[in-house]
Amino acid sequence: MATPERSVAERVEQRPESLPSEEAVPARTFEVRSMSIWYGEKRAIDNVSLDVASNAVTAIIGPSGCGKSTFLRALNRMHELTPKTRMEGKVLLHGEDLYSSGIDPAIVRRRVGMVFQKSNPFPTMTVGENVVIGLRLNGVRNQKFLNERLERSLRMAALWDEVKDDLHKPGTSLSGGQQQRLCIARALAVEPEVILMDEPCSALDPIATAKIEELINELKTKYTIVTVTHNMQQAGRISDYTAFFYLGRLIEFGPTTKIFTNPAEKQTEDYITGRFG
Amino acid sequence: MIAQRHILGTFDESLAALRNNVLMMAGLTERSLDRAMKGLFDRDDNICAHAIADDEEIDQLEKQIDKDGVDILLRFQPVASDLRRVVSAMKLSSNLERMADQATTIARRARKLNRHPPLPEVELMKPMYEQAMSMFKDAVDAFVREDVELGRAIVPRDEKLDELNRQASHKLVERMAQDPDQLRGYLNLIFVGRCLERVGDHATNIAEDAVYAAAAEDIRHQSIAAVT
Repeated sequence: MATPERSVAERVEQRPESLPSEEAVPARTFEVRSMSIWYGEKRAIDNVSLDVASNAVTAIIGPSGCGKSTFLRALNRMHELTPKTRMEGKVLLHGEDLYSSGIDPAIVRRRVGMVFQKSNPFPTMTVGENVVIGLRLNGVRNQKFLNERLERSLRMAALWDEVKDDLHKPGTSLSGGQQQRLCIARALAVEPEVILMDEPCSALDPIATAKIEELINELKTKYTIVTVTHNMQQAGRISDYTAFFYLGRLIEFGPTTKIFTNPAEKQTEDYITGRFG
Repeated sequence: MIAQRHILGTFDESLAALRNNVLMMAGLTERSLDRAMKGLFDRDDNICAHAIADDEEIDQLEKQIDKDGVDILLRFQPVASDLRRVVSAMKLSSNLERMADQATTIARRARKLNRHPPLPEVELMKPMYEQAMSMFKDAVDAFVREDVELGRAIVPRDEKLDELNRQASHKLVERMAQDPDQLRGYLNLIFVGRCLERVGDHATNIAEDAVYAAAAEDIRHQSIAAVT
């Protein structure tokens, strides 16, 4: 049964005494310090320092080639898969340096999951296998546990109701938007601390995009999310913080409302208002 | 400061059209107020009729600006200074429309006054009129030139206008007691004074919107010391 509407008098009576302070410092998941990354001779990231707030969505925006994706990939050491990559600086995840010796990149990538621009379910696997493959590769064999995690991950990815009867079908048989949510479910199944998203909606239609955006909004209560997007309106809708990159440098970083109403830097203003170029 | 052009030329064209309509509306509102006050001071019903007739065009412009503003929000999803300019333009048009309504009210009161012998107390309206119009012109100037300092400086000027209105009302009430035969006339002048006082309030609103458009700073509902 729907909750009865509160009367105006009740609303006035129950209003908080004071507004929450905007000055409160949020908890931090990542602390990036003086990060620079080179691909061979080319410097892709130039001395970037940035704190990523916990249980919030941080959007990375900027023109193509500005280093957004490189920065994102450096947060789970995925950029190291590209040959001739060199990195300087520190990335602390809950205070722990992800780049210190003795840290296994595979463990880092389990703690910091990633969803890509193009949905990429494993083509030879069913919907169900796609979700739990991460757990299987980590040696989990208990079928009851796998089934529970399968359902929970799909529910969290807002996909369970749509695929619960098709778990044995190939992952690639789903629509584009469903495939992307399947990839999110796959990332969630290993219970990461952070989800990185690299233009997760750029290949999706507006309805599928809205579902992913809604999902991102729900997921941030449990996870820290960092997303790269070329869509200014999307950054405005879904993110709490926005970072603007240009030519590998972090030009401006702050609350999304501030960046999109009154950016401090002219380069940011020119880019988001479409005067760049 | 005039910002450099957008990559999307149609965006610039739409913003320019919106701005031009706001300027046109401000010009017509100023003319309407001038005509209403001239009709009062010169006891000219014909000019009063022009002031009243101006209102329709101003009303149409308000609707046009709202429509164009919504259209820009829908088509271009402006952000940062562009967003502030669009929102401020729409708020400006609302204030201008109300100012024009005050002009209509003044013109109607003036026509009533013109049916009776002239009252020397009409002179009490002159300093109020000058104060209100200078605030209005400076507020529109602050918006057009994105002049934050000029915008801020308008807010405290409203206090002087309020004080002039208080003094005028006090004198007119006194005259009502001394000369009850002209009671309606003095009452009409009190209403004219109140209209001018409201013109000042709207000019203050425009100045506040001008500061928001230019500097993203919300100076409404602050003490004058904080604003300036």
